[in-house]
Amino acid sequence: MTLRTSTRTRALAGALTGGALLLAACGNGGGDGGSDSGETGGGGGEGGGFQPSGTVTMIVPFAAGGGSDIAGRATASGFESVSDATISVTNIEGGSGAVGYSNFLGENGNPNTLLATETALIALPITQDVEFSYEDFTPIMMLGEDYTLIVAREDSPLQTCADLVEKAESERTVVAISGETGLDNVVFSLMEEETGVEFDRVPFESGAELLTALLGGEVDAISVNPGEVSGQIESGDVRPLCAAAEERYDYELLADVETAAEQGIDVSFAQFRGVLAPGGITEEERDYWIGVGQDFAESEEYTTYIEDNMLQPNTAFGDDFTAVLSENHEKLSSIIDGS
Amino acid sequence: MIDNLLLGLETAVTPENLLFCLLGVVLGTIIGVLPGLGSATGVAILLPVTLTLDPISALIMLAGIYYGSQYGASTSSILISTPGDSSSVVLTLDGYQMARNGRAGAALAIAALSSFLAAILSLIGLIALAQPIARWALNFGPPENLAIIVLGLATIVSFAGENMLRGITMAAVGLLISMIGVASGFTTARFTFGSVNLLGGLEFVAVMIGIFAVGEVLHQIRRGGEHPIRARFRDLLVTREELGRSVAPALRGTGLGFVMGVLPGAGATLATFMSYGVEKQVSKFRHLIGKGAPEGVAGPEASNNAAANASFIPTLTLGIPGSGTTAVLLGAFIVFGLQPGPLLFEQQPDLVWGLLVSFFFGNLILLVLNLPLAPVFAQVLRIPYSYLYPMVLFIAVVGAFALGNNTFTIWVVFVAGLLGYFMKRFDFPAAPLVLGLVLGPLLERALVQTSALGGGSLLIIFERPLSAVLMVAALLALAAPFVSAVLRRYRRTNRSRIDT
Repeated sequence: MTLRTSTRTRALAGALTGGALLLAACGNGGGDGGSDSGETGGGGGEGGGFQPSGTVTMIVPFAAGGGSDIAGRATASGFESVSDATISVTNIEGGSGAVGYSNFLGENGNPNTLLATETALIALPITQDVEFSYEDFTPIMMLGEDYTLIVAREDSPLQTCADLVEKAESERTVVAISGETGLDNVVFSLMEEETGVEFDRVPFESGAELLTALLGGEVDAISVNPGEVSGQIESGDVRPLCAAAEERYDYELLADVETAAEQGIDVSFAQFRGVLAPGGITEEERDYWIGVGQDFAESEEYTTYIEDNMLQPNTAFGDDFTAVLSENHEKLSSIIDGS
Repeated sequence: MIDNLLLGLETAVTPENLLFCLLGVVLGTIIGVLPGLGSATGVAILLPVTLTLDPISALIMLAGIYYGSQYGASTSSILISTPGDSSSVVLTLDGYQMARNGRAGAALAIAALSSFLAAILSLIGLIALAQPIARWALNFGPPENLAIIVLGLATIVSFAGENMLRGITMAAVGLLISMIGVASGFTTARFTFGSVNLLGGLEFVAVMIGIFAVGEVLHQIRRGGEHPIRARFRDLLVTREELGRSVAPALRGTGLGFVMGVLPGAGATLATFMSYGVEKQVSKFRHLIGKGAPEGVAGPEASNNAAANASFIPTLTLGIPGSGTTAVLLGAFIVFGLQPGPLLFEQQPDLVWGLLVSFFFGNLILLVLNLPLAPVFAQVLRIPYSYLYPMVLFIAVVGAFALGNNTFTIWVVFVAGLLGYFMKRFDFPAAPLVLGLVLGPLLERALVQTSALGGGSLLIIFERPLSAVLMVAALLALAAPFVSAVLRRYRRTNRSRIDT
């Protein structure tokens, strides 16, 4: 049974990677003669001939003030500082991000539009009847990764994630999640898969609501991004049990928090944040934006953004970012289909 | 406490910060007046502009936009029946009726005065009680929220007037429309017919602009050539009697709004509806409410402002936003490198106290601005309706576009406008529909969460003392009008029997 699932997902991943390569090839072929010479020149560097004309639009598919908006604005201003481009941010909200991505799909071939992307890019096509998938766009840059912390209230008897799993083995253990496609649901599902226990879930809408439920003693544990609870951890209202990450955080506040793997539960899953360009742009145009992204990643503005939001500064560009997306897709679709 | 207030005064009363406070409340008033641009959107749009400022100046200005827009939003509701924000929908009832009776100036003045009273009282509450209240509010989990929402739905009865069945029908329609989109906590899309635009559900404010503003315009066009409302200068000022009648409703509204603002998940809109319902039950002039009574303006408007201020309590003490707008403000804290959370009062005392003290000055500025402006704004109604309605339609369309930055929302406004027109024509009340629409998603979410917490059973509501009490109160409120109707009929038949 498990064998069959894993074969299927592997086949799926293969098909996806193939698709992505095909898309890249199409993008290349779609260009004029100039792009051929660009290719022979090595393709890297600062983008040769292409320069964005007029104002570049950065679409944020979520409302202003949220995590995506903060990422989109930080990237837009960072990109402006390291290039000649003028970038304006537009929030196109609706449909949990679907409206923004669908609008972006209509910009096919337009190198003067970018989009601030995150997990909705992968989750929406799996769960909803939308026209796009990540293969329709040109991945430019992964800004960073946001892992989650599993936390409990300060007066909880739980000290570690191992305690949480142990509790779930013998009694009803309630966790709050932010919807089925939420990063937290993914993390708890992976923990269940890994340990064989089962958590009862109560669905909420946002990180703030999760925190209210935890502080109000409604649930035993929640899984949230560190940026969302750093204040409460520092004040001692909330105790981190473990980090569902590959390695420990460098941030002073979180340096002592063990990873789930250290506690014998081999679970980690990251939410990515990044930048997409529309599909169907030329190799030159793509390389230009990748070049800008690489310069941004070196800048002080980038470091400030990452540290203020407690992200992990894991960057990836172009095809490497595509690979991250396809891995994400594989993991997410197996969890959502499987539950 | 005194030290803290002095520290706050020191921070807030610099020429620079007072200037940004003024700028914030003026911008807020304008944003509030424009339909579609609510306080949350307003703060979010202007957030990037403030990035170059000192954090305290920026936050004073952004908070000013928030409470300033609460003042502004009532203006367009009262004058042209076009609510600027969901929390001023209730003012389209008695506020707009007052305007049609030639009392627009008075309605605006009452709105401004009760806003000010509520703001100052709730601010005192905020400063004195923030810490204990915030902890207490955490006791309100999903079952308690569910009970409060049912209590809110019970107020529909008071909106329905004579025809309760129509009111309940419209509330049901509102609940049904709110089901459009992805179900809360799941991934199933409902009633979207494959449209991406419907995945997130209908934009509540767009439906509201349609039903109230466009619906009213169509209604007036059909009635044809109504004369502009003649308001003599004397009529523009609020009378002593109107003021006297407004005090008690404003105080009740303040209390109600303060409690609803602190609680997670309830919010200002529900507070305004409940305040209106309360006035309809307890006010001495309850038979006049719905026909242009000052009580119907003072109560809801006070509860709206009190709720806005109270939503700062969980925001500042726990780092959990108390409303959509304070969520954006928390985002602003992070952008400025400040870490919101329980330690904010200790780590940034000058910032927090400076911000709170600035609320006093901001509200004072708003009162000074709004009182003399009330008769001026009221002059708008002297414009013949044939010139006024294209402007209303224009504002409605611009507001709709501003909501989602897409044209789909404009269509929502027009379709809702047609609905609103037919509702008016066939005398179906609009307020219960709006209440259903607002409460629908909250009700569903609370229901799903309560049942998940109870392991599939809703009996958990009656196992927790707080939610049990609230739920019993809600059921009583729902049943009360039916019981009293039956009693009245019983008494009448008894009396007629004696007569014969």
